[in-house]
Amino acid sequence: MCIKKRPLSHSIGELDYDPTHLNLEVYFLPPAISADFNRNRLSVQGNHACALAAVAAGCRFYAGYPITPSSEVAEKMSEELPKVGGIFVQMEDEIASMGAVVGASMGGVKALTATSGPGFSLKQENLGYASMTETPCVIVNVMRGGPSTGMPTRPSQADVMQARWGSHGDHPIIVLTPASVDEIYMETVRAFNLSELLRVPVVLLYDEVIGHLIETIEIREPAELKLLERKWTRAPPEEYLPFAATDDGVPEMARPGDGYRTHTTGLTHGENGFPTQDPEEVDRVMRRLLSKLDRNRTIVESFELLECGDADIVIVAYGITSRAARRAVKLGREHGIKVGLFRPITLWPFPQQPFAEVAALARKVLVPEMNAGQLCLEIERLCSPPSKVSRMNRIDGEAITPIEILERVKALESND
Amino acid sequence: MRVSTSSAVEREPSPTTAAEPTNVLIVGVGGQGVITVSKVLAQLCLQNKLKVKQSEIHGMAKRGGAVFSHVRFGREVYSPTIPLGQADILLALEWAEGLRWLPYLNPETGTFISDTQQIIPPFSCRNRKRGATSNYVFRSVEQVKQHVPNSYAVDATGMAEGLGNPRAANTVLLGMLSTALDFSVDDWQAIIAQSVPPKTVEVNRQAFLLGREWIQSDAHKEEREQVEVAKPPPAPVVDDVVIDLEITEAWCKGCDICVKMCPERCLALNSSEIVELANPDACTACRLCEWLCPDFAIAVHVHKKETAIA
Amino acid sequence: MTEASMHTFEIRDYLRQELMPHFMCPGCGHGIALRALLWAIYELDIDKDRLAIVSGIGCSGRVGAYIDANTMHVTHGRPLAYATGLKLARPDLEVIVITGDGDCLAIGGNHLIHACRRNLNFTCLMLNNEVYGMTGGQVSPTTTVDRFTTTTPLGNHEPGFDSCKLAAAAGAGLVGREITLQVPALKNLIKEGINHPGFAFLEIISDCTEIYGRKNQLGESPEMMLSQKASTRSDVYRNTVDQPFRPNAFETGVLARNDRAEYADNYRKHVEKTMDVLKSGD
Ligand SMILES: Cc1ncc(C[n+]2csc(CCOP(=O)(O)OP(=O)(O)O)c2C)c(N)n1
Ligand code: SF4
Ligand code: SF4
Repeated sequence: MCIKKRPLSHSIGELDYDPTHLNLEVYFLPPAISADFNRNRLSVQGNHACALAAVAAGCRFYAGYPITPSSEVAEKMSEELPKVGGIFVQMEDEIASMGAVVGASMGGVKALTATSGPGFSLKQENLGYASMTETPCVIVNVMRGGPSTGMPTRPSQADVMQARWGSHGDHPIIVLTPASVDEIYMETVRAFNLSELLRVPVVLLYDEVIGHLIETIEIREPAELKLLERKWTRAPPEEYLPFAATDDGVPEMARPGDGYRTHTTGLTHGENGFPTQDPEEVDRVMRRLLSKLDRNRTIVESFELLECGDADIVIVAYGITSRAARRAVKLGREHGIKVGLFRPITLWPFPQQPFAEVAALARKVLVPEMNAGQLCLEIERLCSPPSKVSRMNRIDGEAITPIEILERVKALESND
Repeated sequence: MRVSTSSAVEREPSPTTAAEPTNVLIVGVGGQGVITVSKVLAQLCLQNKLKVKQSEIHGMAKRGGAVFSHVRFGREVYSPTIPLGQADILLALEWAEGLRWLPYLNPETGTFISDTQQIIPPFSCRNRKRGATSNYVFRSVEQVKQHVPNSYAVDATGMAEGLGNPRAANTVLLGMLSTALDFSVDDWQAIIAQSVPPKTVEVNRQAFLLGREWIQSDAHKEEREQVEVAKPPPAPVVDDVVIDLEITEAWCKGCDICVKMCPERCLALNSSEIVELANPDACTACRLCEWLCPDFAIAVHVHKKETAIA
Repeated sequence: MTEASMHTFEIRDYLRQELMPHFMCPGCGHGIALRALLWAIYELDIDKDRLAIVSGIGCSGRVGAYIDANTMHVTHGRPLAYATGLKLARPDLEVIVITGDGDCLAIGGNHLIHACRRNLNFTCLMLNNEVYGMTGGQVSPTTTVDRFTTTTPLGNHEPGFDSCKLAAAAGAGLVGREITLQVPALKNLIKEGINHPGFAFLEIISDCTEIYGRKNQLGESPEMMLSQKASTRSDVYRNTVDQPFRPNAFETGVLARNDRAEYADNYRKHVEKTMDVLKSGD
């Protein structure tokens, strides 16, 4: 695999604090499965890998509601959590599941829920609440065909925009799109880490194919996972402000029972946690909330570059489609076409600067997606002129094949 | 109450009961057994082939409310109730109830028999202030004797306790009542035996005899004269505390709840619609205003006098 | 009387005083319900640090913010779901939900029946004012038939819920109802609810004087409270003769007890048992 790690010194955005004290390597890309066959390996389904990783990441609470094709996450959690003293509960619906997960996290316990399209829609309000109240939590959305009940057993990538904008109002959210079972494992761990560190809900967005794919994963040692804990405050209770900005824009959290007695509300609130409508204060606190991810882009963003150095044509693909694209790049190169792949692993916030740099060098950008055209909107925004972006969409519940992509690449190449 | 079927011996009515009806007024408070006692008497009259009318009020049947029963019997009885001053016998199961009905007793010929026990009802309080005196009527045995010479104050409950069952107190009183009426002891005992729980027949038999003897026998003369009625307990000290009604004006929204709900009408809204204590002397520190204020604007503090701010 | 017994419950010790006076309209029954809750907390000697109040959206939901404790003001209708997560994750906390009739019975009805069914050990106080107060007085699942609201200009034609019967049938550990006028009784009921080792559902009959009362000419708060007293029937009169003559009266007091296993306790025991089986299998 040709994985390029993003250098720390990357000159994008303003990073007004020094992130070097965090061991950041883990946040960029998961280490690939090592060649060491003595290590603990397992052959598991994507959804099971997600559950195993969650438990390894310290998740001790799961609340969910069954829905194809995500139910295996719940099933595995119901098996694994009791072994480690955690709690599994199947709630009455997805709204309740999301509520219970946020409730558990407010209590200081790492919490997970998993769902698919219709359930993801139901979770949106409480997801927004987690975002507004800066309560860490991880939500898995195993994408299936939509809209509405759609095609429960067929894959899709049509929740890209919903994952970003599904809940009302401007709100920060992180969306990760693993493309392999082992990556699901590592991205789940990373999802918990990012969520705890930045106090943002993290959506793990993958499609039905990856969710049900069985591949080998490596069970890493706990130390290798570099688990992070939430920033619990140690301030004296009289001085503590639950939503005060800190260096990295992430406020310190107080655990109930530790003597802070804070108020948490989904209403727009000031630094003290109580509702406010004072325009100046609202502007200040909302800007702080919304800037959290921008200020921490280096930590959040993760992507893979394949043969992009000299690429005339850059394919932007994620999830299962990126696997087809990878093959297409290989075949294209064999045909002498200068084609490369930009694979966002962090989908939102989109790694815009690194992509812009790659795209600037390319003549054409192709965005194959299993939807009617969603991520391509972001890609068009980042390319100049936008017309150099071509869309390639399948909405029939079938995955896009390498050959299909290769055909389009060839067509793009011969177009000029 | 068991109702006896009339297997009773046929007998001529006794001479005393033959003329004008005899009026017996039985009074007490709810829960004491006034109705049971009067039913025994009515049953007895029926067995003796007399007409009997029994009229009772037990609207306040819950414990503590006043209960009375008029029993009138004779060859012919028309009105069910006893006119003022016409009762021949007033049997009271409670002292103050006895006093209350005293005007119904014929002051010259009437007989007053009353238990000295006092049941002070909560509503005898004159007002709700701390240390308020009670409205409970009090008169000593002597005072009653001045009104009705033929008076017996008796600690029937104590006597029944002596027999081992305080619940037989009413039978003690029946025994006393029997001395003023012309029915045979056997008839009395038979009816009582039917009216009480089977296990207590013996103790009730003894209680009846004890009551009867207590009035008739000279052996009890001294005892009869020594009976005293306890004075009701003295009122608690009135002025050991200071009530301080703290009003947080900034929190009051003038909803009027406290003003309308205060049982003593001490509160009022001032010109700016904020509550104030308009009549502090009437306040009893019942805390109702504090409890019902949705804005927590009133706090009732009760200080001991020494610690109160001068 | 000793000095100590004279100096009793001081509500200020349990309030976030800096937020007072609170936002509620003059005479709103929600304030009285809040007093009763805080009084119960005082009498049960619950540590404020260990107390977690989860409330929904509505005037009722805003009540929680005034309590000096760990307060969570969550989304409309979902406080029971949040509380379930919180209590399962943190059994050491004393979790109390404050919700409204719309919050709990309309949008949150599903969560209510399942909270009752699970019987997890926390307490739900539903402040029933028969109306959607916060949104300006729309019809709610408990609005009396023929009453006027902003969405029933011709009078309400929908039948309402008896939420206590619903909760009891769904298996809540303890079900009770009380009116705000009976503050000490309400306090005692809340104490009983908190003490109950299971899910306790308590309906508190509150009044929305400003909107509902005015629209229906129900009088000021005192009149509304007194009429509530007249239309309820305390459990101390249970089995007495007036029952047949007051068929429409809502019963108050503790209305149901379901002696069932507590959810978390049961979960833990179940896990222990089955883990043992797993181990002995090796
Ligand atoms: C999902 C959602 N739908 C609707 C609303 C608007 N809303 C806010 S409060 C409320 C009604 C609350 O009524 P109730 O629970 O009876 O409480 P009350 O205000 O009467 O105390 C509604 C519908 C909302 N906040 N969220
Ligand atoms: S405490 Fe309040 S309600 Fe009670 S008498 Fe005094 S002013 Fe009136
Ligand atoms: S609108 Fe009604 S429920 Fe809301 S605070 Fe006012 S009186 Fe209370």
